[in-house]
Amino acid sequence: MTEDALATLLLAANVDDRQAYAQFLRAVTPIIRGIVRARSRSLAPDQHEDIVQDVLLAIHRKRQTWDPGQPVRPWLYAITRYKIIDAYRKRGVAVHLPIEDYADVLAAEQAADPLAARDDRAEVDHLLGQLDPRSAEVVRALVLRDEAQADVSARLQISPGNLRVMLHRSMKRMAQLGRRGEP
Amino acid sequence: MSKTDDLIIQLSGSPVRAPLRQRRLAAIATLAMLVPVALFLAEFGMRRGLMSAWSNPVVILKTLLPLGICGLSLVLLLRLIRPEARIGRAGYGYAAPVAVALLLWAGAFISRAPQARFAEVGTFSLTECLGSILMLSIVPLVGLLMLARQGASTAPQLSGALVGLTAASGVTAGYSLFCTRDNPLFFVTWYGVAILIVTVVGAIVGRRVLQW
Repeated sequence: MTEDALATLLLAANVDDRQAYAQFLRAVTPIIRGIVRARSRSLAPDQHEDIVQDVLLAIHRKRQTWDPGQPVRPWLYAITRYKIIDAYRKRGVAVHLPIEDYADVLAAEQAADPLAARDDRAEVDHLLGQLDPRSAEVVRALVLRDEAQADVSARLQISPGNLRVMLHRSMKRMAQLGRRGEP
Repeated sequence: MSKTDDLIIQLSGSPVRAPLRQRRLAAIATLAMLVPVALFLAEFGMRRGLMSAWSNPVVILKTLLPLGICGLSLVLLLRLIRPEARIGRAGYGYAAPVAVALLLWAGAFISRAPQARFAEVGTFSLTECLGSILMLSIVPLVGLLMLARQGASTAPQLSGALVGLTAASGVTAGYSLFCTRDNPLFFVTWYGVAILIVTVVGAIVGRRVLQW
């Protein structure tokens, strides 16, 4: 749908044309979905639709901030971007990630990924062996066994916040150890 | 996907909300600053001989500089109400008033005898100056934050800082009509400190309350 068509729909919605508003929201949904998919690759795919809905809600709550004299798309993209960042912040990224996705978050920061680069299980065990036992268990549970954060948190009696921090630090530490072992 | 469709149906059933109008927001913001200042001046009065004091350009600048900063900040604040907006180069607009203030300060420092430089600084004068500006800032700070919450700033902390800067510099301009200390070493410093305090408070609060 072109920019103008979106603007026309939103203009109509602003004068209480509910059908136009529903049409507008339906028209922007695939656009948002596309952006969310592209930008949230490190969040689990099942959460993408949640984020799409968050963005739709944000558009709805902030619909008064669109200036009819301005194009719709930059406004739409800005809201989408903001809510994707928000989603990352709220979900604390690491916890929901299967290992291969977590890899590129770490890679961005660390330029080396401790686990994905070495699919060799023995090597991973070796790296885990160099961590303290609790940290190693956190990594095993969350990353290798993909257990739910809440379960691990309850079992090990670590608060969810600390759990995330521990996971993050352990992954970092393993990346360092892994690099040291390289020729 | 069907949940998304349900959401859309639900959302499209709610009442319309008219687009925010910058002028209206600007008018409300101005009022939020004007009312406490007017009450203050009605109670304590303007300085005696304000008109004749204005023959000294420094006294005029004492009001104009904060007024200019207030105007610019309000424009930027209202611009950031749209999520796609950026401040961009308009931020350089602060260079002129800040430069003039610093020149005033430096000029006064050089031209005054060492013992006359900070002669006005005392517990009473500082309490009066800082205290008045901080107290006067409370109402516009809260009012402008509420105003900014209607918007969708994608930089909540910056918007919060601009709220503080607008509110504090606006009331400072009003307060300067009462204040009789015309030494730039005094008013540039302490107006500046008061405005900075409110700006930092605005940024800290804004970071939390301007999120959406």
